[in-house]
Amino acid sequence: MDTSLSSPEQQPVAEVRAASKNYQAVRALIRADFQVRPGEVRALLGKNGAGKSTMIRLLSGAEVPDEGEVLIGGTRLGTEGVDGARRLGVRTVYQELSLVGSMTIAENMFMGRWPRTRFGIDYRLMADETVKALARLDLRLDPAQTVGELSIADQQLVEIARALREEPKLLILDEPTSSLAANEVGRVLDVVAQLSAEAVAVIYVSHRLNEIRRVASTASIMRDGEIVDTRSLADLATSDVVQMMLGDTAAESAPVGHAPQPDNPVLLSVRGLRVEPKVKHVDLELRAGEVVGIAGVLGSGRTEILTALAGVIEPNAGTITIDGQDIAGRGIAVALSKGVGMTPENRKEDGIFPLLGIDENIVISAWSSVSRLGVLSMRRIDRAAESQIRRMSIKSASSHAEIATLSGGNQQKVVIGRWLHADSRVLLLDEPTRGVDVEAKAQIYALVRELAAAGRSIVFVSSEIEELPEVCDRVHILRGGEFVQEVHAPDISSDSLLAAAMAEH
Amino acid sequence: MDTSLSTTQAPPPAGKKRRLPFALSPQNLNIVGLVLGIIVLSVVLSFTAPNFGTVRNAFSILQAAADVGIIAWAGTLVIVAGEIDISVGPAVAFWSVMLAEMAGPWHLGLPVALIATLVGGGLVGAFAGWLRARFGVPSFVVTLGLWLALRGQAEFMTNALPVPLSDNGFMDFVGGTLPGGFPVSAVVMFVLFALYLFISRRTSFGRSVFAVGGNAKAAMLSGIKVARIRVLVFVGTGLLSAVVGIITAGRLTGGNATAASGLEFDVIAAVVVGGTSLAGGRGSMLGTLLGVFFIAIIGNGLILLGINPFFQNVVSGVVIVGAVLINLVLSRRGSAEPV
Repeated sequence: MDTSLSSPEQQPVAEVRAASKNYQAVRALIRADFQVRPGEVRALLGKNGAGKSTMIRLLSGAEVPDEGEVLIGGTRLGTEGVDGARRLGVRTVYQELSLVGSMTIAENMFMGRWPRTRFGIDYRLMADETVKALARLDLRLDPAQTVGELSIADQQLVEIARALREEPKLLILDEPTSSLAANEVGRVLDVVAQLSAEAVAVIYVSHRLNEIRRVASTASIMRDGEIVDTRSLADLATSDVVQMMLGDTAAESAPVGHAPQPDNPVLLSVRGLRVEPKVKHVDLELRAGEVVGIAGVLGSGRTEILTALAGVIEPNAGTITIDGQDIAGRGIAVALSKGVGMTPENRKEDGIFPLLGIDENIVISAWSSVSRLGVLSMRRIDRAAESQIRRMSIKSASSHAEIATLSGGNQQKVVIGRWLHADSRVLLLDEPTRGVDVEAKAQIYALVRELAAAGRSIVFVSSEIEELPEVCDRVHILRGGEFVQEVHAPDISSDSLLAAAMAEH
Repeated sequence: MDTSLSTTQAPPPAGKKRRLPFALSPQNLNIVGLVLGIIVLSVVLSFTAPNFGTVRNAFSILQAAADVGIIAWAGTLVIVAGEIDISVGPAVAFWSVMLAEMAGPWHLGLPVALIATLVGGGLVGAFAGWLRARFGVPSFVVTLGLWLALRGQAEFMTNALPVPLSDNGFMDFVGGTLPGGFPVSAVVMFVLFALYLFISRRTSFGRSVFAVGGNAKAAMLSGIKVARIRVLVFVGTGLLSAVVGIITAGRLTGGNATAASGLEFDVIAAVVVGGTSLAGGRGSMLGTLLGVFFIAIIGNGLILLGINPFFQNVVSGVVIVGAVLINLVLSRRGSAEPV
């Protein structure tokens, strides 16, 4: 494998040699070799769990490899952690911003290392340095402005400016555009191009191939903890990338065999849905008994569509019709009463009540069915909880056990069970298999198919595109805020889905 | 990283610590600890403090416990919901004054005055809850405002002088004792305890309070009307403050703008000593009951021991923080880090 694509006489900025990393039984990285040279913009591609994050963590000093070594500018990185890598010139900008919204741009720029005079913090020096750092990215912002007032794009750029202030030799950007609207993306890409001209090496993690093609010269594709290949992007077709990302697993998955039944009644219909800034125009019809997938990369607006359907957010335009009634922007209670239930993307933060029992986590969506005049019937709670626990084969000693004692997969089943208890006809599942083991995944797929067979309508959203063919009757491809394509079973293949979702134009 | 585990104290793996013959959840551990604490305290005081072990003193402890306890039941739900109400002491004083004013100078008659007091108490609580739920004003700030305003208004109306109530059988009864000396306020306390125990465990409202305090976002996404729950918990403290205001007026045969000074902190201390988390989501009525008695017994013992009244507060402060500290240390054993 030839990893030295740019001028080979240059010393690599960073080099990973035969590095392996295990997390308990999970082999996150297997004898990976990786190098990046000054001025090179290297795209790092791979599906979730391919090992991208582990690679980033090794390079940024957050983790030490079990075997092999990491060299930054020729110096071996030991156990001195992020600070050590930082001294050698590595800066990482993570997808989740690490700015303090209530403090000023200048204070954030120097977070924790505020320059001081004899009389306390030197605000003038900070402001001057901040203006200089921002000017490098062509940003004209007042250093005294608080970060919380800035747009997300500006915050992202301030974060990059902070990383650049100390003249890094290697900048790692982890999905820097996933939270940005299309018109803001260009600004980040311009900055990356400029850095490359200044001989800074950039590692750019993203799923958006058109962005990658605009800024990156080379791409490393990872799969199952290994670097499959590192190639020049010029001679790398999208289909090759997809093939390398998915490997043979795409062929192994058993797609849903039958096509959807177009004569089933429409349960919910969406017309012209617009949710600023990500969702521009979405039409959608959900029929009883079908599983509809939405395929889109991170930040494509998948979650916005689901939260609008569930009544959590008010769309800027469009109608959401159920039983002949428009419920757009009418709130959760109305959506719930019409039979729409959503399991949120962040199960731990938004989905579960960690201190309550499994039983109460299930019946909480509809107390009325287990109570009379507000007084709960313990017998009915037990019966309702037991029936969901059985139906979904949730593994637990007791229905009264705290939900936090369950595994991720079983927690997810409880959250789905909550909406079955509420008798929801339309289930919106946002990343239902995130953080769930393989066996539980298969059980969740089977459960979804079973629920559809019983006449419910299910929207299935997942970042792991290769699971969509296993559960969906049809899949809408979401790109640029619109559904650009629709594929039907049995012709759904993860290759074509991934290629369509990534190829943003 | 795994915050859900560290905050729920999942049963520690076997063999990590000395095994007890029976399993104790942190909640039960706290309750067992408090019962032991109360027993030890009582035994020590019965040997050291004169008259501690008498029936009369037991009634006097019950009476002191009642003022704190009645409000602490509602206060537990407020704190479980992740909120705080520090306005209850001034609210008690204010409603004792209002009752005396309405029944006396305003000539509304006692029955109307009593109903108006209860309704008014609930409405003030609803107002505080509405400011919290509708506008997101922190409940500490809302009730700090009420703390100042209610006491101030009561003192302004009365020049901080007592407002006498004319002789009345009902008010004497409420402020007095049953034949034999058992305080009526303690009866009210136990009845309301049973009611709140039921509400907290067996009603959809009570369980929704725990859900909102444990994870407000998830509660909202599950269709729970979070704003309504928040308003209702404050209606509870407002209403029960008015109840204690009526009892206080009965005991003092009149309203007094300076009554119930510092009651809010006794209530919060009792709830917290009882194992309820100020972060919300976790707590129990039984724990609060024990917390109320723990604090009432300490207060009583310090008086009987003849400790300097100024120094009594020092002892109370140390004991309260110590009790919570022990509780936390015990319940966090085996979990990675304090959150």
